[in-house]
Amino acid sequence: MLDHILSILIFFPALAAVLGFVVHKDSMRSYGVAVATVEFALSLWLWFAFDSNVSGMQFMEQVALVPAFGINYIVGVDGISLFIIILASFFTMIGIASLTDTKDVKNMIITLLFLHMTMIGVFVALDAIVFYVFWELSLVPMLYIIGAWGGPRRIYASVKFFLYTFTGSLVMLVGMLFMAYFYYQATGQWSFAILDWYRLILPESFQLWLFVAFFFGFAIKVPMFPFHTWLPYAHGQAPTIGSVILAAILLKMGTYAFIRFSLPLFPDASVYFMYPIAVLAIIMIIYTAMVAYAQKDIKQVVAYSSVSHMGVIILGTFALNVEGITGSVFLMIAHGVVSGALFLLVGVIYDRRHTKLMSEFGGLAAVMPRYATIFGIMMMASVGMPLTINFVGEFLSLIGFYQQSHILTLLAGIAIIVGAIYMLAAYKKMFFGEVTKEENRNLPDVNKRELIALVPLVAITLWLGIYPKPLLEPINNSVEAVVQLMHEKSTTEEAKKRIPNLNILINKTSEKEAH
Amino acid sequence: MLSPVNISMESLNLMTLAPMLIPIIGALLILVIDLFKSGQDKSLYVMISLLVLGIDFAALLDSAGIFTQNGTVMGVFDVMLIDGLAILSQFIIVAASMLFIPLALTHKRFHEFSYPEFFALFLFMIAGFQFMVATDNLILIFVGLETASLALYTLIAMHNRDKSFEAAVKYFTMGALAAGFFSFGSMVFYALTGSVEINQIASVLSANNFADIGFVLVGVVFLLASFGFKLSMVPFHTWTPDVYEGSSAALAGYMSIVPKIAAFVVAMRLFEFLIHSGIVWLEVVLYIGVVLTMTMANIWALVQTDVKRMLAYSSISHAGFVMAAILIGTTQSNSALFLYWILFSFTNLGSFSMLWISRQKNLPAHQNSDHSYDKFAGMVKTSPVAASIMALFMLSLAGLPPFALFWGKLYMISAAITGGYTVLALIMALNSAIAGYYYLKLIVYMFMKEPLVGNDGHVYVSNATLPLKTIIGFAAIGTIFAFLTLNPLLEFVTSFVYNSGY
Repeated sequence: MLDHILSILIFFPALAAVLGFVVHKDSMRSYGVAVATVEFALSLWLWFAFDSNVSGMQFMEQVALVPAFGINYIVGVDGISLFIIILASFFTMIGIASLTDTKDVKNMIITLLFLHMTMIGVFVALDAIVFYVFWELSLVPMLYIIGAWGGPRRIYASVKFFLYTFTGSLVMLVGMLFMAYFYYQATGQWSFAILDWYRLILPESFQLWLFVAFFFGFAIKVPMFPFHTWLPYAHGQAPTIGSVILAAILLKMGTYAFIRFSLPLFPDASVYFMYPIAVLAIIMIIYTAMVAYAQKDIKQVVAYSSVSHMGVIILGTFALNVEGITGSVFLMIAHGVVSGALFLLVGVIYDRRHTKLMSEFGGLAAVMPRYATIFGIMMMASVGMPLTINFVGEFLSLIGFYQQSHILTLLAGIAIIVGAIYMLAAYKKMFFGEVTKEENRNLPDVNKRELIALVPLVAITLWLGIYPKPLLEPINNSVEAVVQLMHEKSTTEEAKKRIPNLNILINKTSEKEAH
Repeated sequence: MLSPVNISMESLNLMTLAPMLIPIIGALLILVIDLFKSGQDKSLYVMISLLVLGIDFAALLDSAGIFTQNGTVMGVFDVMLIDGLAILSQFIIVAASMLFIPLALTHKRFHEFSYPEFFALFLFMIAGFQFMVATDNLILIFVGLETASLALYTLIAMHNRDKSFEAAVKYFTMGALAAGFFSFGSMVFYALTGSVEINQIASVLSANNFADIGFVLVGVVFLLASFGFKLSMVPFHTWTPDVYEGSSAALAGYMSIVPKIAAFVVAMRLFEFLIHSGIVWLEVVLYIGVVLTMTMANIWALVQTDVKRMLAYSSISHAGFVMAAILIGTTQSNSALFLYWILFSFTNLGSFSMLWISRQKNLPAHQNSDHSYDKFAGMVKTSPVAASIMALFMLSLAGLPPFALFWGKLYMISAAITGGYTVLALIMALNSAIAGYYYLKLIVYMFMKEPLVGNDGHVYVSNATLPLKTIIGFAAIGTIFAFLTLNPLLEFVTSFVYNSGY
């Protein structure tokens, strides 16, 4: 069964979704939780069986799909994708368990299960076309979630979300077809397998164009400044569960794809575009933090802060060294946990008051102490307090980029600190001071179902903040392989200089140890 | 003293005629049945047509077998030409017709299906299209084209509404103009080369190195205009939406597939040798035509308020997309054309059939056209299965993976890249993005808006019968699981195209 575990992980939720049409709507929630729990257990099993010492792909499966055109169903997992998969199944489970929308729960759960299939598919696909299929397919359930359960402007938000990402990915598709064509020219065979593409060394001029084509697809998904405008709408109008999945998992598709495609395929172009992208990332951090400060709606604050932190992930990725990339992968997980939790927390208050305006609240700490505590911990994590999960990732990302540019790193570091202001301000507005509104006086504190969802998140936040090693080690191993590959494939002087050659480093340390 | 005419039956190779003769015999059979015992139910004629098409399909399989063994076959005084393109396109024509004809078995009683002549004309039309693709003789192409078109005009007019008459007359006048252009263009080529056979024309023209380039261009202009009408390329497309709107939805779907593939094949035979001869002017004109057709049709589709007209413009855009294959002119692009059209025929016939099952004899209240977007509002609440299937077809048309048309788009864009048309590939990709909007619009109406008051879902399936549902289910399964059949399909298509020398 372990031989096919990845396919099982992908298609089990899809099958369950199809069968779900038959389940009676009163039992649907239990069914959904059961399926998602099994799926989560399977992903934990994957982690258990995963060999952390191996840097390459594990549990690979290959089935010929269109061999005449080099399209195969290839899946595999390495340290970079492993934890995102676990995160995805974890959040689907928590999301379904904490569902409070009573409207049409059955369809919602079926949609979530389909969405889950596409998410896992994206993170395990090792064939560009299979990757693209899942990447695009994930738009449909998300479109439906926003469009059918969202706020008053949901249709505008969902269509904007769909069209933005759809357009970006079509440009990316052209890039993928070009890659396959170059592979065909070099070897006489069509192939869309990513591992095949890794072996291809392209001249810098080709890399630059292809990098840009892929960049469109990924940057819109992340979303990077200035392609981010769809995100606040999507978050603003989406139901709680939609925002949680979007922030925790779907955005990671973009950053993950940068590491899976852009860096190893186009090392020279990555170096070439390093500074412009870093500048964009820093603009993203500062600008969205400023916008977040101006928001009146607590959900928008969380949404913008989420974009802001995605900027740090991008910065870490384009540090192009082991520390930076490991940090950014770790931060993807951390960001997923923390921003997912924050959206859930916003959902808790929204369920009680049906408003997300901060001016409606105040002094909640006295009324809902448990809620205030959990919110406080998560907010601290989001700000990047040491001993929380975010800190590890941000720290590593910044250390990584420090080796490329001191000034930009300094700027980013300050920006993150300044960015913390809006979070603290929002927290102050909502939780401290007198209880100003009469209707807030008797709000019930978090109930059992909400605790089931939130407590594990708090636990993870603290546990991995204090002891990140179980995640860092496998991530680090796989990232080292990527960086080494980049160094070997790079052709320009500049790239050779910027991307460290790990073999030399490893040899040096072993020599030292020998002495 | 003239020697006596002596023709051996073997040299005639009558096998090559068999696939066209079968529908003709079938059509005559239907007329004879009506002659002796009139007033039969339409189901009889539908089944006879289906059987005839089945035999036709078997005959095509036979020709395909001969082709794989012996290569290109000529017959009947070298007028008939059975090569890979002919066989592939006939497969599409016959298969799409087999999907179309059961759509006559509707719940509501529509005028045209009560005439046995409808079915006879339908079979004559198929024979016409088959003649058109299975020859490289310009005269026979013309005969086939006109047989098919005249039958088609009548089929449209039989729908018996004001708009249908308007559509038929409009189509007829445009078609007559196109026919005039075609004959004039052919005449120019005959005057230049002394032959009406395309391969002869090609060899004579290249032998004298395109000396009379001016005249060649005049001939090309007329042929291009003629095919512009038939393929509804911008700016010759203006009749298309009106004609589609006037015809029954099922026939509109059929018209967006079968006449187009026939025209594509002839265009491929005609224009590819001209493009390969390096006439830059033709390449530029075709390039502009292709880009304009897909882009402008997309933009017009954006602003339609009627789903059927939207689908009409979308089919124009798809035709422009596929026309790019002829411009690129490599084996891969020509295979992509057939692959795309096979996948497209499933999906598009499916989506037009979805309109067909929701067709009422009278317009619902507050609506001024048969299939306005409003009619589909909230469909998921009242008729969830139908809404999901319609959404599936829309997503496939938009090119969302893993549904059928995505693979066609993928292969076509790849062909553009391989052929060195990078900018064209980008334009194709961006056009798919624009198209995403209007397909999405229907999905938004179906899934996210509230249903019209008093709508119990009956309006969406008012016309549905078991045969219609079967056809739609067939199309839906084909759309979802296309990727499983892709490899054999691709190998089959590529080998046929390659062995025909394209």
